[in-house]
Amino acid sequence: MRGISPLRATLAVLASAALVLGMTACSEDKSDTPTALAVDDGATLTLWTRAATEGVSKAFADAYNANHKNKVQVTAYPNEEYPAKLASAAGAKALPDLFATDVVFAPQYASEGLWLDITNRVSALSFKDKLAQAHLTNGVWKNKNYAVPHTIDMSVMLYNIDLYTRAGLDPTKPPKNLTEFAEHARKIDALGGDVNGTYFGGNCGGCNVFTLWPSVWAAGGEVMSADGMTSSVNSNAMADVFALYRKLYEEGVAAPAAKDEAGPTWLGALQSGKIGIAPGPSVWLGLIEEKGVKMGVAPITGMTGGESTFIGGDSMGIGVTSTKAAQAWDFLTWTMSEDAQVEVVAKGKGVPFRTDFAANKYSSADPRIVAINNLVAKGRTPYAKNFNATYNDPQSPWIATFRGALFGPDAKKALDDGAAKLTASLQKS
Amino acid sequence: MQRRSWVGAAYAAPTALVVGVLFIVPLVLVGWMSLNDWPLLGAPEINFPENYTGLTDNELIADAAWFTAKYTIVITALLFSVAFGLALLVQHQRRGVGFFRTAFFLPVAVGFASASLLFLGLLSSEIGPFHTDTYISWTSGSPNLALGSAVTLVLWRFAGFNMLIMLTGLQAIPLEIYEAARIDGASRFQLFRRITVPLMRPTIALVLTLMIAGSLLAFDQFWILTRGGPDNRTTSLVMVIYREAFIRLDLGSAAAISVVLLGVLVVFNVIQFGVLRRRSQ
Amino acid sequence: MARLSYYTTACALAILFLFPLLWSGWASLESPSGFGLENYERLFTSDNGIRFYHVVNSVLVCLITVGGTLLVSTLGGYAFGRFRFPGRDLLFLVTLAILMVPYATILIALYVLLGWLGLQDSLLGLGLVLIMFQLPFSIFMMRNSFEAVPRELEESALIDGCNSFGVLTRVMLHAVRPGLITVGLFAFLTSWNEFFAPLILLNSTDQFTLTLAVVNMRTASHGAIDYAALEAGVMFMAVPCVLLFLFLQRSYVRGFMSGALKG
Repeated sequence: MRGISPLRATLAVLASAALVLGMTACSEDKSDTPTALAVDDGATLTLWTRAATEGVSKAFADAYNANHKNKVQVTAYPNEEYPAKLASAAGAKALPDLFATDVVFAPQYASEGLWLDITNRVSALSFKDKLAQAHLTNGVWKNKNYAVPHTIDMSVMLYNIDLYTRAGLDPTKPPKNLTEFAEHARKIDALGGDVNGTYFGGNCGGCNVFTLWPSVWAAGGEVMSADGMTSSVNSNAMADVFALYRKLYEEGVAAPAAKDEAGPTWLGALQSGKIGIAPGPSVWLGLIEEKGVKMGVAPITGMTGGESTFIGGDSMGIGVTSTKAAQAWDFLTWTMSEDAQVEVVAKGKGVPFRTDFAANKYSSADPRIVAINNLVAKGRTPYAKNFNATYNDPQSPWIATFRGALFGPDAKKALDDGAAKLTASLQKS
Repeated sequence: MQRRSWVGAAYAAPTALVVGVLFIVPLVLVGWMSLNDWPLLGAPEINFPENYTGLTDNELIADAAWFTAKYTIVITALLFSVAFGLALLVQHQRRGVGFFRTAFFLPVAVGFASASLLFLGLLSSEIGPFHTDTYISWTSGSPNLALGSAVTLVLWRFAGFNMLIMLTGLQAIPLEIYEAARIDGASRFQLFRRITVPLMRPTIALVLTLMIAGSLLAFDQFWILTRGGPDNRTTSLVMVIYREAFIRLDLGSAAAISVVLLGVLVVFNVIQFGVLRRRSQ
Repeated sequence: MARLSYYTTACALAILFLFPLLWSGWASLESPSGFGLENYERLFTSDNGIRFYHVVNSVLVCLITVGGTLLVSTLGGYAFGRFRFPGRDLLFLVTLAILMVPYATILIALYVLLGWLGLQDSLLGLGLVLIMFQLPFSIFMMRNSFEAVPRELEESALIDGCNSFGVLTRVMLHAVRPGLITVGLFAFLTSWNEFFAPLILLNSTDQFTLTLAVVNMRTASHGAIDYAALEAGVMFMAVPCVLLFLFLQRSYVRGFMSGALKG
């Protein structure tokens, strides 16, 4: 007679029962108590971050480890696979003591309860109002704080000073509105050869949110409701911005490669020194100049004026399964201190997320840095629980929408359909 | 012998242990997860049949299913022909045949993730040798280009492996049978059709099974090379499972798609097994 | 086939198949300042590059996987190929069914399971999972290899008074050596090149394997891929495998033959 051997069957049943029981056990109530102060007692803290943020996280960790008893160990994961890593760890109830994520994913992780509730700890901070509020809000779910800012990366217009001069434009007068931006781009493209006026991530969801939405905000428009549940991607403001970029692409002013740019070679394109003016991350200023290309910085503008920026970067919180919450909070509070903000972030040419240190001894050396730092007050970070699945993921409805608007046969239809699809995705539970 | 029975079972015990603990248990868990609304942390709640009925509304799944089916047919047809052709080419002992066999088989030494990265560079405009004056993106310029680059990668990487399997099947056919048929005046084509193919049936069945299962479960090549683009035109089913599990954090839904996929594969294999059984009788 | 057309076709195909690897090797050596090991230098010294411990980890995982796979599949193949016992066919089919389940599906469950067994974030846990994934191919190979051994060999050993284990070690292992080499080789290839499983099942950087480090080169500095260093990484990973392949060529071809299809 055939059959599963009894021993194996029992083992399987026991193991699966144990697993199921383990997974259904309730997690402890991890409410936040004001008596849990920051503690520095020589604990080892695990910190996870994504590859893009590794530099900053490591810089923080190194500086902290140098004069604290606690020691922070940083592990960085490939950007694209980082969400999978977090999900697996969460599923196994084995999250690290601290972990960072892209700030736009913070609402999702907060809602899933992956971070510890730190509401009381945050409200006990004396400088709470000086933290980049846009970031702080993204770590809030149902009126509780779960994450604090970790790094800031804002979208700005980056322009090639050399190409500006060659095209007869004044590098000290960057465009004051988007229409002017298009004109400048056209003039530079007219230089010919392999020079192109502008560049964008035509196949990259996150890139487009980062670079195009500020133009809508600057005009006083909206792309999404404040609660992240409804999309207004077919609003006039957004449609106008798409139409402008569409025209630039059709005229060949935008590099043809922009259509397929999914993100991995975006910086490389700007570092080539062949792009006139393009929106991009402020942190790339240094990276592009390293290649010997002199760059200017200007805020992203609306169609007829106004300035805004997308305040991106990473948020960080305490893993909900951590047993060293107090020690982890010690590290987090230290990262928000003047020492860390000025000596680690500003010194490393980054943007402090404490507005009271926006002007510091390092930033004042370069007026461009001052300009960037001041944008923190003018920018926004969109809030949505389903941000990743709706906008960033390569299979998101956002990519279909904006590609339809930029390259498809019927831009209006793409945007109208898109609004419905995006709203559906944002509201999916 | 009665004794042989438990001796055999003893030798099979390590296999049973590994398969049982590391495969069956997770699989049962996945089945169970597909019946629940399964949050990452916290208690799951039964929501059957929502995870399954939700699949029919999901446009992405429908598109991915179509694409995966189409891809499977394309790859199986091409890979099979290429592998069989290569095997026929190198089956007879000749000068240099060892070199050719090695050349065709060598790509198998490169891991699939590495091979995908290799092709990423090969097809890139930065350092690849295929860039032209007018800009063209081999991996996302158009759906057909994207599919083509993924297919090329798979053909390159797996043709040699399947060739070897086919080769062993070919070389298991006794020469006397060919001789006898040739004496009877059979043409080369008739030899192929009447002798080679029928006697290769089990080999062909194995190769087809591996190819079809591999294609239905395709992930790496699209994840690394095309990211499912352009416009989701090269998104495979397993990519959708990945997205459900790790981006949307809906483990129950991901489990449901997996169960359905597994069902399809099991059904296919049962049918194939049955057909094979019947024809070899 | 006419001699000339045969060799032309075969050579053309051989070039096609060898081209990507050759190009990768060439690209890994080429740099703006001519040919040299510059890209390899960046591979090893850049922030996200390969370090010695990556190599050590990869080697350890391979040892565990290869050793474990050989052990389990030899014993299992022996059982399936030479014995009858209840549940034999069912176990065999279930083992083959491992091929039909996508990775992403059971990886989370495996992660949980390893945590339960105290093997989370360990090379041993990773090795065990990789052994499991190798079983369909390995057991199939070994079963067929054992089945192909003529009974006379066994019988003469049994007459000498050996029990089944003695038969196995004295006679069978020798006879199925090509199969063993094939199974070992493929187990090595998979564990050396595996990407997704180590990503999910390992947490600490000091446990990371080579493949994780190389893939990191793709996405590390967001927006700029160091293609040349990437190809250097591909080469670094592929060369040991290619060498092993060439070295063991005859054996695994024989292994395939003996594991040849008998339906």
